[in-house]
Amino acid sequence: MQVALQTLMGGLTLGALYALVALGFSLVYRTMGLVNFAHGQVVMVGAFTASTFYMTANLPFPLAVAIAVVITALLGLVIERVLRPLEGRDFDLMLIGTIGFGIVLEALAVIIWGATGRAVPTPIDAAPLDVAGIKIRTYSIVVLVVAALATLALVTFLHRTKMGTAMQAVAMDPDAATSVGIHVGRSNAIAFAIGAGLAAIAGSLAGPLLYVNASLGGTLGIKGFAAAILGGFGNIQGAIVGGLLIGILDAFAAGEFEGYSELVVFVVFTMLIMIRPTGIFGERTVNRA
Amino acid sequence: MTPTRMLMVAAAAGILLTTTAACGTPGEDDSNASTTGDIKIALADAQSGQLSALGAWELKGVELAVDEWNKNGGIDGRKLKLTVYDSQGDPTTGTSIARKITSGDYVVMFGTAESAVTQAMNPILRQAEIPSITSGQSPAISELGSPFQFLNGPTSVTYDETLVRYLVEDKGYKSFAMVTNNGGYGTGEHDAFKAALASRDIEPTHDKVVTAEQKDFSSILTDIRSKKPDVLFIGAEEVQAGLVAKQARELGIEAVFAGAAPLATNVYVETAGKDNAEGTIVSTPYLSNDENDASKTFAAAYEEEYGEAAEMHGAKAYDGANIFFTALEATGGKGGKELADEIRSISYDGLLGTFEFDESGVGIHETKVGTIHGGTLTAVQ
Repeated sequence: MQVALQTLMGGLTLGALYALVALGFSLVYRTMGLVNFAHGQVVMVGAFTASTFYMTANLPFPLAVAIAVVITALLGLVIERVLRPLEGRDFDLMLIGTIGFGIVLEALAVIIWGATGRAVPTPIDAAPLDVAGIKIRTYSIVVLVVAALATLALVTFLHRTKMGTAMQAVAMDPDAATSVGIHVGRSNAIAFAIGAGLAAIAGSLAGPLLYVNASLGGTLGIKGFAAAILGGFGNIQGAIVGGLLIGILDAFAAGEFEGYSELVVFVVFTMLIMIRPTGIFGERTVNRA
Repeated sequence: MTPTRMLMVAAAAGILLTTTAACGTPGEDDSNASTTGDIKIALADAQSGQLSALGAWELKGVELAVDEWNKNGGIDGRKLKLTVYDSQGDPTTGTSIARKITSGDYVVMFGTAESAVTQAMNPILRQAEIPSITSGQSPAISELGSPFQFLNGPTSVTYDETLVRYLVEDKGYKSFAMVTNNGGYGTGEHDAFKAALASRDIEPTHDKVVTAEQKDFSSILTDIRSKKPDVLFIGAEEVQAGLVAKQARELGIEAVFAGAAPLATNVYVETAGKDNAEGTIVSTPYLSNDENDASKTFAAAYEEEYGEAAEMHGAKAYDGANIFFTALEATGGKGGKELADEIRSISYDGLLGTFEFDESGVGIHETKVGTIHGGTLTAVQ
């Protein structure tokens, strides 16, 4: 039982990161109908940026994360601005464009930060909490709380603000939204910026847990993408549930199947998707092309 | 430039960068081996990805040796010209690079630092009769039986026999848990450490295998914690070994950490955290830059060239390069079987010890035991 609970805790921590990555994927898909294949690399840029301000500029970790969020949000705006002319016209080129952006970002990261990568010290150096024999890392609590707050802020923004509501309208019917005066391009730009900001939070939080290098985006991106699909691509709740499920599945598979765990995770994932192709929350497919 | 055009440029640049990253710097031309002009040598190592620290160290060691030989006039007046290929730590990329090397007029290849990539490249280089020297230490490399494959360090069998002898016979530890990964290096470490324990009638309390990509070890470490082993053996590369050590301490495991070369690096110490890495016991052929005059000279040159302290992988690569160049000098720049035979006949005093290559290509046959104190590796007393 102790092993199971400890495994669950580890799975939830990584699952929270996957959920944040999945949220970014889903948000952009929801508003633009586009899978942003550069999203994993934006996570990596966020991780490197935060680690630079934290380790090199010696800023407090929360401030370093905030700066990383701003920088990646700007990066998201740049990506959206370049893609915008193709919105509703050439969907395939948009997809290829996001792949191209991802590769460029990875290459630029190697040029700026080097290929070797860096170990980020844990910002909270407190001893793990001991709850009935279960060791809970204090940093894991930070990850879970920040992920929950980010999700809450996103949901509040989408449902309680004028801009968020407008974005929802664009997601449902861009033509109708335009006819009532909503600027679709601006809505998409905000979706990209928020998605990239979430990516930076995920990358920044992942740094002290994992190791930051140029390939980090691939590692987190693929699991985040799978999480988004499992939850129901484009669905915000689905991204969270999918992320946590992939994290937990990952952790238990590692314990039970050891060296075959990755295989097991993706076999189970594939089976779940075959049973329910639209994911757990069954988000309606969006395609603006 | 219109946004559409910018997008197409971004996509094209991405494809170009991918191609460049996968191929590294291309060779000049594919003409047949020449006996005049520069001597073309290749290095294949991870220059990107999680194993790139290894590749970067190896490159520095080889570059240093190349620069020294070129400053001294090269080989028979011919300069050594090094081409670097990025294997990305990936066997498939490695095989692609091996084909480029075999068609590129190269006399030797240095690398890779990763056992699985070395194994993947081996058949192609063997067929083309291009001698290569690897920092990989999996026994599977020496078992390939290629007369053109050399190892610039011992295999895991030597590393782990030395380590277990120290842990059991000198320190008196009785219970051991193992965490190894299923990559080429981890598999070699798994088999070698377990065999060394078995030869002393010790069965590990846990024998856990993780994937090379795994980041969270809560499940297996919690299981291990319940048996309170004296020693946790970690058979994984630098970053993953550091993550295992970090999480083990965070979950309350008090066992001594032990392992081979990766645990002697600053990447392991930084990833684990200095406090968590404290007391780690390491089997390594290269303990310190201050060990003797040769290592001090090497470390000073390394520091001057790269502005950082030298470490074992750079030293291994430096030794390997010097051995190959010494042999090349003896063959008058000729490669192939003549060079491989010459390498095997050399007795070379290097930074890691005296190299005498046996039929399986292994040159160093012993390691030393060190321990990490304050983030620095020192010899055990």
